[in-house]
Amino acid sequence: MGSVGLTLPWEHKISAVARDGERRVEPLEGKAETVRISEELPQDAAVAAACLSGNLQGYERLYQWQGTRMKNLARNLLGSQADAEDAVQETFLKIQRSISGFRGQSSFVTWTFRILVNTCHDLRRSRVRRKDQVNEDVDALPPRMELRAPGAHPSLRMALERALGRLTAHQRDVFLLYEVEGFRHAEIADMLEISETASKNTLFQAKKNLRTMLEPPRSSTTGGAQ
Amino acid sequence: MNITCNDRERIFLDGSPAEWAALEQHANACTVCAEEMRAWKQLSAAAGELHDYQGSPALWARIESALRQQQAALAPRKGFWGSLGFWRHVSPAWQSALVGAMVLALAISSGYLYTHRAISPVNQRNTLLKNSALVEVERTERDYMSAIDKLAVDAGPQLGADTPLMASYREKLIVLDSAITDLRAQAGENPSNAHLRYQLLAMYQEKQQTLRNVLETKR
Repeated sequence: MGSVGLTLPWEHKISAVARDGERRVEPLEGKAETVRISEELPQDAAVAAACLSGNLQGYERLYQWQGTRMKNLARNLLGSQADAEDAVQETFLKIQRSISGFRGQSSFVTWTFRILVNTCHDLRRSRVRRKDQVNEDVDALPPRMELRAPGAHPSLRMALERALGRLTAHQRDVFLLYEVEGFRHAEIADMLEISETASKNTLFQAKKNLRTMLEPPRSSTTGGAQ
Repeated sequence: MNITCNDRERIFLDGSPAEWAALEQHANACTVCAEEMRAWKQLSAAAGELHDYQGSPALWARIESALRQQQAALAPRKGFWGSLGFWRHVSPAWQSALVGAMVLALAISSGYLYTHRAISPVNQRNTLLKNSALVEVERTERDYMSAIDKLAVDAGPQLGADTPLMASYREKLIVLDSAITDLRAQAGENPSNAHLRYQLLAMYQEKQQTLRNVLETKR
């Protein structure tokens, strides 16, 4: 790689204020991470116990706690709001069906997102089959992104969505879980049933690929952002 | 910490906080690394654009309704085996211990019942009937023998006559007595054998009839 920078139209507009996701570009402060985990653990156990008891209020608590994050991930994996809502509903139904099998070997949230990611993949496969799109590797197909509500940098988001669509399904999963939803590599490894090192490698490859895709052609780099 | 451009990708992949700090310091003097770091960070910043946490007020109502339906559909299926679901929360070691204890308790109780089994009233009555019937048969036999002996006493003078007919009756009675003795010995070994009892009865009847014939000859 040379000294070529990203020449997206938004790059000079990105806020310098660190968001949760942005903070994770650099190594995490170990102390802050420990505090976050220790704060979430009791809630995780309480919600798991409430769901295990069969009380629907437990599921409502889970929805209030993680629902928007679940919907956002499903939206980014599936490309449409309607499909995302279907995936979240199906995930809750699967949780209810299999809650008795939850043994607490991972956190309840991690377990929930593992089900969600698998549900999204299943849904995508079934949608693709229904549309008679014959393709041997269905997972390789990029999600067809529908228009969202305008954000701060709509052109940036569209460029990134297009680029994400060209990643492998595995790289897309890891990038979205880490960079967008803020999960740690240990949690992602648990969700996708891979090693932590594999999660780090996949994220690294995903970012390298994204960077290449978002990089302007060499001939036009002289006018790129500096 | 001494960092060079060659370390950059390794730190991007899995650098420690100290290595990141050292890379930042290196980037102050290296334009290539500075640009790479800026681009790397911008990707993460751009990922924030994929946050779309707009509410879906109707979604929870929809999910709740689906959960209720599924709960209702699952409930009837939870029969006997479903009620054993708590076993899944018991560790395998405790499960083994509990199963072992149950098997042991079952074996002990079975052994106790076998050794101290009570005879049911029906069986008890059958056994009593059998015993009482046998006593009744033996008593009747004794009476029968006693009556035949009395008959033999009455026929005694007649049998002592030195005629070919009486000699024939005497031989017949000797054979019958011999058969009766044998049958009684066998019946003594197996008192419940009904077949032996019937044969013995036939012998008595034959002896009774023979003695009657002797007495009728006198008349």
